[in-house]
Amino acid sequence: MIKVNDLSKKYGSKTVLQHINLDFFPGKIYGIVGENGAGKSTLFRCIAGLESFDGEITSELTPLKNHLGLLLTEPHFFAKITGKEYIQLLCNARNIKLGNIDERNIFDLPLNEYASNYSTGMKKKLAITAILLQENNYFIFDEPFNGVDIQSNIILTEIIHKLRELNKTVIISSHIFSTLNDTCDEIHLLKEGSIIRSAQKDTFKELEMEMKKISIGDRMNQLGLK
Amino acid sequence: MKEYFFLQYKLSVRRLKDTNIHPFLGLTLLILGFLGMSLLLFHKTQFAAPIFTLLSLALTSKLSETKRNEFLKICLKRKDYLLVRIIENCCFAMPFLIFLLYKIELIYAIILLLLSMLLSLSNFNSTIHFTIPTPFTKKPFEFIVGFRNTFYLFFIAYGLLFIGISVNNFNLGVFSFLLVFLVIFTYYIKPENEYFVWSFKSTPAQFIKEKIKIAFLFSSAISLPFALILMLFYPENYLIVLVFYTVSHFFLMTVVLAKYAAYPNEIHIPEIIIILFALSFPPLLLLVIPYFYIKATSKLETYLT
Repeated sequence: MIKVNDLSKKYGSKTVLQHINLDFFPGKIYGIVGENGAGKSTLFRCIAGLESFDGEITSELTPLKNHLGLLLTEPHFFAKITGKEYIQLLCNARNIKLGNIDERNIFDLPLNEYASNYSTGMKKKLAITAILLQENNYFIFDEPFNGVDIQSNIILTEIIHKLRELNKTVIISSHIFSTLNDTCDEIHLLKEGSIIRSAQKDTFKELEMEMKKISIGDRMNQLGLK
Repeated sequence: MKEYFFLQYKLSVRRLKDTNIHPFLGLTLLILGFLGMSLLLFHKTQFAAPIFTLLSLALTSKLSETKRNEFLKICLKRKDYLLVRIIENCCFAMPFLIFLLYKIELIYAIILLLLSMLLSLSNFNSTIHFTIPTPFTKKPFEFIVGFRNTFYLFFIAYGLLFIGISVNNFNLGVFSFLLVFLVIFTYYIKPENEYFVWSFKSTPAQFIKEKIKIAFLFSSAISLPFALILMLFYPENYLIVLVFYTVSHFFLMTVVLAKYAAYPNEIHIPEIIIILFALSFPPLLLLVIPYFYIKATSKLETYLT
């Protein structure tokens, strides 16, 4: 379990997150939605310990970062490092001994080529493969479906279901509501740094409508399309 | 088009400011450095003019990178695009051109000008799709990436070593050995993205210990043959080789520690000044190493606890 207690974050005088209280239980999939700049990625970076913050984050397994697989929105890759070497690097970092990586290459990636030359989707798939092979207990996927082809989206959805079966804690952010609808048990709506709404599976439809209303608002009239 | 060059000027000033140097001072240092290196090159070899021309063209060719130029094509009209490319290439070649004229190397000056302008019509991809094999694939990235970027320099170092031996010039042999270490030092200059530090399941002390261990292991794999060959051909100087070998490793440790002492920023002027002091008087390493170690562990604390 991960417990986020009264978390607030400021960059200078700008408040990015305010008084966030969330519990993430094992065997459950959580979705965080919100428009660009709502604070999703900052929340994830705070949970991962990549940002300082006010408040408290606790977990059963400590330190949390050593048991957390973090997929960033735009994973970073070194120039001139192959896909296989990237996986090896991240697994070595967690003292995980890997056998034959090729056998576990579920996305059929060209692992002997430089990862920096991969397409956006391939980079994301490589980063996902690496954090899955790290044998983590907690997972944060920031926009995992972005740029990934439809076949891999299906595989990814299955992976997330499998992680639930294995009693892992998974937190996902996505702009594509349908993917969250398929995978999540609970969704939290983040707006201007605050959780303004939380929904269980049976109220996802209402949340989607509400989000649509908030997102569109008066914007179409504002645009003045003729 | 005017706006484009003004933007380039602003970017250059920003880059200089990022290194914590006043732009005027930075520019002065750059000019002095260029002049110093050019004079040294022309003083040392009779092939300076062609080397100088090739060097200039190699630098200018960076402006022919496909993605960059595709972006320019989208932003600018065809005529403006060509003009921008020609002006940029000429600006890059200008210092070299002026120096060649100063040295009365008129033929090379004309060749450089013509080829620089010709290069403005070319676009090529700098990304190599061929994976260069490296013996360092099993451990963290510094030697994997570094070796792939600089492997040809080791061939040059071996070349210098064998020339040194064949003309019985021990100093040239030592220089080739030091060149190897200089190349390895560059592997630790740029800080990695914080994600790759955060990912490690270790304390700052363990993390640094592992980094130094790998640096020693892999640098020995590269430099030991140089040291052994030198000792074999110059057995009377084995102590000198051993001293260089040991001190180079201490400096390697210092560079690794300096990198994380400055982390997540790049190694800046204060660290460079400290390293330079230690270079001029190596016993200072006894103070510098613990100082950088304490700073590095404290910087890594943020990511590893």
